[in-house]
Amino acid sequence: MSEKKVYIIPCSGIGKVFGSISREIAYILVNDLAKDKTALECLPLIVKGKKEVIETLKENKIIAIDGCPLKCSYNDLIEAVGKVDAQFMTTDIVKENRDLKPEPSIIPIGDKTKKLSRKLAQKIALKVDDLLEEN
Amino acid sequence: MKKKVGIIACSGENLIGGTLSRMAARIVVEKLRPNQTIILCQPLFMAGNLEKHGGQEERDFAKNHPTITIEGCEEECAKIAVNRYSGPPSATIYIQEYIDAHPEVKTNSREELGEEGINIAEIIAEDIAKKVDKLYGTK
Repeated sequence: MSEKKVYIIPCSGIGKVFGSISREIAYILVNDLAKDKTALECLPLIVKGKKEVIETLKENKIIAIDGCPLKCSYNDLIEAVGKVDAQFMTTDIVKENRDLKPEPSIIPIGDKTKKLSRKLAQKIALKVDDLLEEN
Repeated sequence: MKKKVGIIACSGENLIGGTLSRMAARIVVEKLRPNQTIILCQPLFMAGNLEKHGGQEERDFAKNHPTITIEGCEEECAKIAVNRYSGPPSATIYIQEYIDAHPEVKTNSREELGEEGINIAEIIAEDIAKKVDKLYGTK
């Protein structure tokens, strides 16, 4: 049996910087803070209903990271997979760090946006450990 | 008033094709054709239970405006979504064709395109802009 992972699913939005933060966080987690514990999957592919992807997600823990109140990642996952094990909003980390107002640039993101992303990624990395312990 | 063209990038995070699709889309709407195009958020477009959570606007826009989908891989997620909820897109761009056409270009990674990757994104964006010119005001 393959080792359990926590799947990180960012909202994938490209209309506002808050979606970029969700993407940056996902990359920080899978490449750095929770490397070997986490994996990425494309949200559009999940919503499309790719069978093997859905099955993999059902067998592993999932964290949704959303960039706006519409919560596309969370809602799409509930619809397609039937569960989300933890959810985070990038707007929360912005509210908690008023001195780090994110730059409006969506691609590439600015330095403050990167700092905000790392801060939330650190919180989510702790949640990753919690979820893996539950397995 | 002429109808804007909706740009829908696949936006996937798992492959470099998704990264190129996002970058090309942003170049079109920010630099090349800012007054003729609008980004449609792919995840919102596809979101389930739209009546409850919002997002129907994206689908309605795509029904009544020309659309260009940008596909980062062979799964065609953007095209399938538009086709399913709003009718066939007016045009589709396949990122893989550009990657294949420029084997000399070494893109850094899915996280960071690097200078050469950005050059490919600009080539893709130029082609999208040409399609926008044909589609702007139609439908």
